[in-house]
Amino acid sequence: MTNETPSQSESGDGDEVSYPGLATPELITVAEFIGQTLPFNELPRETLYPIVSRIVVQYHCQGDSFDARTEERGLRILRSGAVELRDSDNKLLDRLGEGESFHIAGLNAERGEVIATVIEDALFYFVPDEVYRQLRDTDRNFDRYFSGQRNRRLRRAARYQPEPNTMMQEVSTVMSRELLTVPPSSSVRETAQAMAQRRVSSAFVVDDDELLGIVTDRDLRVRFVAAGLASDTPVSEIMTPDLEWVDGSTTIFATTLLMTQRRFHHLPVKIDGVTRGIVTTSDLILAKQDDPVYLVQHISRQNDVQAIKELVAGMSNLMVQWVASGMLAQQVGQVLTAISDAITIRLIQLAEEKFGPAPVPWCWTGFGSQARAEQLLGADQDNGLVIDDSVTDAQLPWFEQLARFVCDGLNEVGYVYCPGGIMASTDTWRQPLATWQETVRKWARTPTPDAVMRVSIFFDIRCIYGQCKLAERLQETMLDQASRNSIFLAALAANVLDSKPPLGIFRRFVVDRDGEHRSELDLKKRGVLPVTEIVRLHALAHKITAVNTDERLKALAAARHLTIAGSRNLADALHFIQQLRIKHQCEQITRGEKVSNFVNPRDLPKMAKEQLRDAFTIIDEAQSSVRQTYRAGMG
Amino acid sequence: MMWRLRMRRLVYQRRIAGTALHSCWQAPLPSTSSDWRKVSFLVADAEMSSLDAATGELLSVGWVVVENGAIELGSAQHHLIRSERSVGHSATIHNLRDHDLIDGSTRDRVLGSFLDAAAGKVLVFHNAALDMAFLNKISRREFNAPVLMPLVDTLLQEEKLLRRREQPIKAGELRLQGCRERYGLPHFHGHNALLDALSTAELLIAMASRRSAGRSLTLGQLL
Repeated sequence: MTNETPSQSESGDGDEVSYPGLATPELITVAEFIGQTLPFNELPRETLYPIVSRIVVQYHCQGDSFDARTEERGLRILRSGAVELRDSDNKLLDRLGEGESFHIAGLNAERGEVIATVIEDALFYFVPDEVYRQLRDTDRNFDRYFSGQRNRRLRRAARYQPEPNTMMQEVSTVMSRELLTVPPSSSVRETAQAMAQRRVSSAFVVDDDELLGIVTDRDLRVRFVAAGLASDTPVSEIMTPDLEWVDGSTTIFATTLLMTQRRFHHLPVKIDGVTRGIVTTSDLILAKQDDPVYLVQHISRQNDVQAIKELVAGMSNLMVQWVASGMLAQQVGQVLTAISDAITIRLIQLAEEKFGPAPVPWCWTGFGSQARAEQLLGADQDNGLVIDDSVTDAQLPWFEQLARFVCDGLNEVGYVYCPGGIMASTDTWRQPLATWQETVRKWARTPTPDAVMRVSIFFDIRCIYGQCKLAERLQETMLDQASRNSIFLAALAANVLDSKPPLGIFRRFVVDRDGEHRSELDLKKRGVLPVTEIVRLHALAHKITAVNTDERLKALAAARHLTIAGSRNLADALHFIQQLRIKHQCEQITRGEKVSNFVNPRDLPKMAKEQLRDAFTIIDEAQSSVRQTYRAGMG
Repeated sequence: MMWRLRMRRLVYQRRIAGTALHSCWQAPLPSTSSDWRKVSFLVADAEMSSLDAATGELLSVGWVVVENGAIELGSAQHHLIRSERSVGHSATIHNLRDHDLIDGSTRDRVLGSFLDAAAGKVLVFHNAALDMAFLNKISRREFNAPVLMPLVDTLLQEEKLLRRREQPIKAGELRLQGCRERYGLPHFHGHNALLDALSTAELLIAMASRRSAGRSLTLGQLL
């Protein structure tokens, strides 16, 4: 700094000139901060600076709240920390962070009750009401910003987001590429020295590019120091061999889930089969804190049904936030399925604590949308239990008890009983493997309409808990029976062709004519289910083990059973309809209505209407191809 | 607490009759049983040419008032003090150069303003011993008596809190910035007496707010 700086050259008096109305030049830091926030950024300095001297700095701890009864009236600008705005139904309206502001009395006066709660210790710049009023009276832009604040908040409710997208990023984006590798013959001392020098907490043991194992700080403590080994012990003796690893394209969400469930602290990341990096739990925690994965983790720590229920009570609001932030429908499906998996697993664990360990191996399976990882809000239960064939009659009551406990718990939490009784608590859906296999064979032999209906749910199967081999063997039987039985496939195809896309001649939408949903379309029944069924049929016919619709489509295209264009078109159609459906549900949640799958095509923007027509056309074409492939000559 | 201060003041009472220090002392002392939000604080910081009060000089003082548990920005003041000697190398720390200080006030006038602002309040410093050594030095020179005001030291308070967690205190944890981080307070650019005073004031209300969450925190618990 020199005297040439114009504002500094007049020294003493210069302060008065450059900071009009500021009590002391140091307060410029506060003035600058406020001058960057909305709508203060529009104010000229002559207006802004005198405000600073009227400001009071307050600190509020997490949990402090403000509502209509808060005596101190004025505008609170967040200097640091975070605040949540909720309405009287505890619905999240907005979340505010640094530089954002709220006037609690103003929000309350506009419509209904708003409560502001500090969710992260916060430092406020408090602008007293008289100063705030004066600004609104004298500055039109300032006034306009605050009028109708609440309406804008409501609209923003759909926009607010804790960035779950980061959870959908590839794990390779957060992995550490600084790898320390040592040969298996190097001594523990050399390894420890190399780790200390590189300041890393783990080293890979690699022989000729082949990953043999990993040594972590913990291994050094537990298997070396505590065991009192000599420092020239080869590192291969204390390493953890046979490592689990993830592919670089795995999402951060899936990786975090894997690591927390299996209690891994370090996990190698391979790209094209070669170890390229490592993720640690702290990498993942840094990646994002407030996310579905933490909900999943918390679920696994609850000790009763009630606690789980409370934890997931806010799930619909969470979904609104995820979607608002741009999470795609298929990702929402994965996340919601991960949550229901976690709840199921926790309930099973609680049941095992209550009734003791299982007498023989068994596994809990999910069917339908849970199996496909495509669950949305309001899903009911579709589950079953596969028991090892060694089970004796005397041991069966244990499984019945467990199934009742888990199904009752799921119902209590919000996954209502399956109306069709497809639940592990029903005797038919809780069988030894051999009985299951016999049932499958019977259905395939005589595909009655009832059997076909059940197959459509039951042939989408995924192991949720327990001895997964059992579910896999059952699925093998299903694929085996289905793929070589053209009569069975034809029956399934007939079912697929039963529901025509709701397009009339000239591509008009065909809507319900009367009843509760007059002039509306059922997106689930008319859009999602037909695609799911078409894809399932192809998958069964070609012995594809994947159950997720997107994965099935990819596998079908990879094996050339579908053209790449055909597979992609179906995926696009499904994604578009799901996205529309989920967006619609979010709007219903925001308005406080019950979620449904019905939309009135008239309410859709022109563009969306066209895209929906395109999607239905694609389904129609896919059905034609099903007719040709599986029902040729059957009419 | 307060009675000890009163006793010590008695010794100097007659010596300072009619001075600015005297009128400062005439304001009633706050009660140690008052809730901290009912107490008025003057949060201050000083910059000096050396950390040794015997050889160093006070270069600037800044302060701000905390009332009803909140910082009143309108009360903020910053005073430069005309130096008798060159600030020398210390300029690299506080950015005050000799020619900045030419227009500064005299020591006694700044002390007068400070005592004026301090009347009836509790003084707050981060590391009070250092700042008070300098203020007392001027006060002794001026009034032949030390300042003798109730005093809160945010550094000592934080040290007490950290000792309670039974872990060794790491380097930097007791510095103003280190303390502020524990309360989620934003980063600040220090080494200006007023900005440091403001930062200390934010630390004070953050610490007191946390300690009083769901219960009361009296002035006595802060002294």
